[in-house]
Amino acid sequence: MNMHAKHSADATTVEEGLAIQEEQAKFDDDFATETAMSNTLLTPRFYTTDFDELDAIDVTSVRKDWDALIAQMESDPNKGHFKKNEDWDHVDWDGMEPQLKAEFIDFLISSCTAEFSGCVLYKEMKRRGSNKDITQLFQLMARDEARHAGFINDALREAGLRVNLGFLTQSKKYTYFRPKFIYYATYLSEKIGYARYITIFRHLEANPEHRFHPIFKWFEEWCNDEFSHGEAFALLMKTDPKLTESFANKLWIKFFLTAVYSTMYVRDHQRPAFHAALGVDPDWYAHEVFTKTSVLTGQIFPLMLDIENPRWQRNLERMQRANVQIAQGKKAGGFGGFVKRMIGSARAGAAFVSLYTIPAIKHDVPDSTVLRPAY
Amino acid sequence: MGLLTRTKEEVPCVVTISHRFEELSAHVKFTDGSVVGPGDTVKVHGAEIMAPYGEVVEDERMATITRASGIERLWTRATGDFEFMELCEFSFSEEVTV
Repeated sequence: MNMHAKHSADATTVEEGLAIQEEQAKFDDDFATETAMSNTLLTPRFYTTDFDELDAIDVTSVRKDWDALIAQMESDPNKGHFKKNEDWDHVDWDGMEPQLKAEFIDFLISSCTAEFSGCVLYKEMKRRGSNKDITQLFQLMARDEARHAGFINDALREAGLRVNLGFLTQSKKYTYFRPKFIYYATYLSEKIGYARYITIFRHLEANPEHRFHPIFKWFEEWCNDEFSHGEAFALLMKTDPKLTESFANKLWIKFFLTAVYSTMYVRDHQRPAFHAALGVDPDWYAHEVFTKTSVLTGQIFPLMLDIENPRWQRNLERMQRANVQIAQGKKAGGFGGFVKRMIGSARAGAAFVSLYTIPAIKHDVPDSTVLRPAY
Repeated sequence: MGLLTRTKEEVPCVVTISHRFEELSAHVKFTDGSVVGPGDTVKVHGAEIMAPYGEVVEDERMATITRASGIERLWTRATGDFEFMELCEFSFSEEVTV
């Protein structure tokens, strides 16, 4: 794709930035017309929460670590990183094996949507809050998510796909998250996101022949953003010890860990060609990511899942088979399809209960949550 | 808010879309200060909006907020939490099956 001498991410004045963008827009309009891009609809989710509760957070008890993290995010070490340079190799989309292409595009769209939903959620929290510490954090995180979404969007455009924001003018329902569930879920999604991206990045560093798309070269800095976001949520949880220490909340934490890990396992197994092209065995990958995530989340969660327990792998596989059955039932339709789906759901439920009831490994949480990306 | 009835409100809003390399985002802001609650539905009026690549557009529109009934609100509060998985990068698309 075309190379620009300068990118708007490097612009020092507004005028310069606009000029660069205008230049780029001209090119891209031509590009769009040339390739008759097809639409891909983004379907983000919309959330509300208890904004008063969020506003009442007091970060005084973690002030030193908090200020250091915010200062680091404000300095924006990744500004200008998410752009194409000479490392962006040509991608032979037409020559790509169709199944791989479908799975890879699916991967890009899911990633773009997740970044986009994160951005909408963080921006809403920024807008509805009045606590300066909290609004500042969410503003910074919204910035990163929008930047990542823009970068993935560019890769999609290169593949001839244009994102469609049609959802904006459609009815959208706002669902509800309790603040503590936002902490658990977003914390975990940021940390597991880091573990996922860095595992692929390191694997491709050692096996560059499997890097079938240049976007993987950008995963290292990318996941460092995810890492910082996770650090922020760890500090937020640290301000209220009940969130991680009460009996009920420990059960919730275990639930979130089990749900996120098992969902990842099932979904990754739906992309066999993608993982084969990367030279990654999805079972090995899952185990790597879970191991890293367990170590990382030890900074704040007082328990980790026992992924070495024989029941763990066995039930993940059961869940995966049940999921295939559900998909087949959906596809078949009719009464037979319905029955198949229901049996599949019951099996998936049973597998989940079995995973959830594996005794967790308890451990002591360090006084300070601060971690550096070390993988 | 009724226990079983929904009410509708017409409110002005600004839709901001950034469709640039360095930022892909879209936000709807109600200019009269309206806020949405659990279970509410928002529909922005008018044609689909999309910024040309490389641009940011802002459009003033009207939107309908359909307020959830009391029951719906309670239900959303009780169950909404379970949609958290949507925030993970690996959880969205269901297009590919084995």
